[in-house]
Amino acid sequence: MIYTVKSSALLIIGILMLVWGGLNNSGAIDGMQSYLQKSAHSDHMKVKEKYDAELRVATEIAAAENKPAPDMKMPASKFDHAKAKQAQLSFIFGGFFVLIGLFTLAWKPQQGNLDYLVSVVPGIAFILLIAFVVRWGLDPIFGNWGKAVKAAGILTWDFAKIFNLNYVVIGIVIGMIVVNVLKIPAWAANGVRTARFFLKTGVILLGTLYSAAELAQLGGLSVVMIGIFVLGSVGVVLFMGKRMGTPNSMTAVLSAGMGVCGVSATVAASPVVQAKAEEIAYTIGTILIWGVGCMFLFPTVGHILGMGPVQFGAWAGTGILNSAQVAGAALAFDPTNIETLKVAEIFNITRVLFLPIIVLWLAAWYVKHEEGAQKVNLVHVVVAKFPVFVLGFIAMFALSSAGTFAPAGHYQGKYFSSAEVKEDKLLKGKEARAIEGELTRLREGEGAQALSKYLLDKNVVLEHHKVTPEEVYQSLSDLAANKKMMSRQQNEILKSVAKMEGLDALTAGSIDKAGKAATHDSKTIKAYRDWIAWLFAFGLIGLGMQITGKALKQAGGAPLVIGGIVGTAKAVGSLIVVLMFVKEFI
Amino acid sequence: MLNTQTLLLAHHGTAGALLAEALALDIATPGLTRIVHLLVVPDFWDGMQGDDWLNNASTRDAFGDYVEGMLEADVRKQLRALEGRCAERGFACKPVMRQGDPAACLLETAVQEKASLVVIGPPRPKGTLGYRSRMDLEKLARGLHVPLLIAARAAS
Repeated sequence: MIYTVKSSALLIIGILMLVWGGLNNSGAIDGMQSYLQKSAHSDHMKVKEKYDAELRVATEIAAAENKPAPDMKMPASKFDHAKAKQAQLSFIFGGFFVLIGLFTLAWKPQQGNLDYLVSVVPGIAFILLIAFVVRWGLDPIFGNWGKAVKAAGILTWDFAKIFNLNYVVIGIVIGMIVVNVLKIPAWAANGVRTARFFLKTGVILLGTLYSAAELAQLGGLSVVMIGIFVLGSVGVVLFMGKRMGTPNSMTAVLSAGMGVCGVSATVAASPVVQAKAEEIAYTIGTILIWGVGCMFLFPTVGHILGMGPVQFGAWAGTGILNSAQVAGAALAFDPTNIETLKVAEIFNITRVLFLPIIVLWLAAWYVKHEEGAQKVNLVHVVVAKFPVFVLGFIAMFALSSAGTFAPAGHYQGKYFSSAEVKEDKLLKGKEARAIEGELTRLREGEGAQALSKYLLDKNVVLEHHKVTPEEVYQSLSDLAANKKMMSRQQNEILKSVAKMEGLDALTAGSIDKAGKAATHDSKTIKAYRDWIAWLFAFGLIGLGMQITGKALKQAGGAPLVIGGIVGTAKAVGSLIVVLMFVKEFI
Repeated sequence: MLNTQTLLLAHHGTAGALLAEALALDIATPGLTRIVHLLVVPDFWDGMQGDDWLNNASTRDAFGDYVEGMLEADVRKQLRALEGRCAERGFACKPVMRQGDPAACLLETAVQEKASLVVIGPPRPKGTLGYRSRMDLEKLARGLHVPLLIAARAAS
């Protein structure tokens, strides 16, 4: 079979990308970009004003000294970086697509690996083009509209923020529109199927961004939450199915889908429990409807309740039936930072690790309850269902922990370094004197009492020991003397002290300023996070293109009733548990 | 008088399809009418595992093989059963299996088989269990160039 479809579409997409890169490089669309990237453009104007002033002064000095005007170059602003990045990505991918596009038109495809590899490129280009349009165009446009509507007083809230109209949600919606309304073009069909490969790659790469402590904490939390809610919902569905008199195969396949990881669990369990075709259709339709609904609803509820990344990630990872929509909801909730995605994906991994166990349980249950059911080979089930990509995740985590990609401590995207504090970021004399004044006050009488009480009441702990007033005095004294933070420990202690009621405002501000000056962005990790976000955005747009209205319409029958009850109970129950017991601890 | 040389019967084993079959066999002329039995596997199956991304390829293949095997067995059973019933009544029967949108498949088959009459069952009553894959009657009415007969619902 020949997979490659001869079409000029790939070439056209490549050319469009190259044109976009060229327009960015030449500055021809700066006007439009200044609207799309308002915050970066405002930084650009500040940099330009500073540069103009410096140039004017330098020119005046040079003129007074009868020297030629100095040759100064304006430093790059965030706006310049953003445009350069768009141009770079457009050139790299556009160039590649043009080359492959020309090759496709000239080449006579022959059956084999090359044919298959070439056939997937147009679909990848198609999704990437949508991702570019959504991330660089529609996302900022909706963001601007949300702010404008709020500023004009039409609404008292930012609709784009509350409804999560960001690149992830818009991308998935566009994917669903493409498949259901416009239909996926034949030349793109093969490449669209690669979405799951990119999602798995995203999960594997995400393995580099966890610390051992984070993984242990999140892993423990996810095992408890998933353990309770997965096993609970599987048990409830089995019970309800028996009470409602649904066939054993339908009950079994439904409990897998409702309990573990949605469509993936249904796909894994169906052959084992010999589910009938209509039972599979009902179950998958029900799960998809719930998953898509929850993906839009959960982030809005999360914002309204003011949830943090750990709470939301834990809730989405437990309460949303389908695993693809867990990733979608996590990124929709927190699209610029991938902290929520990190939490949610640990839950997804835990779910998929539970999958072979649940399939075994259901196989045993089915054999026990169904006459003439075929026994399954337990070892074969475990081996066949084991998610190999989880090994990749673990390998990346191990490599990252060994410092292969960035120095230890950089994994969160920011790192502490006293040596890299720039001269102009050191505390001023006035600030150091304010700190010395507060130090004297805190050493004596009421000040000392207030500090001791604060440390005790707030239970200020550092590296498993309670912080003492002496440590605070030493930290403040060192800060006043060095005019910068000298160690991470000092920074952590003073960050807590800065929140103390009654502390001089200038001292609190100086602590904050010194802390920020010593905390630096890790460029490697920042770029890495950005790439992971792109991979997930790409994968989710592609998965959106595989959610068909016809599949959603199959929801019905007993699965819809049972699914509605169990899905609601799981979503509400996990929300209550998360709000009551899960704290933001990473 | 209806020309019943080639009668296209859409039949997939449901209660409505059985009514269509009864009507078709009533109006067909033994020895003259050739019955083309169209069985459509609905296209929603295409999107049934698209959203699954956690499983490995072997699990997905196992699911695909399982569903395909099940649908194929069902199709064979339906085709054979109707062929047998047609033979009993002295009609030549040609089975045709298609995968896709039911109305589009029917329009395409009507042209390919040069059907002179199309017979389908009544729409399934709301609330009845079964696939959500209905025949688009407007699409059929606009696209067919031969008479279309819809069997009456059974009296309840």
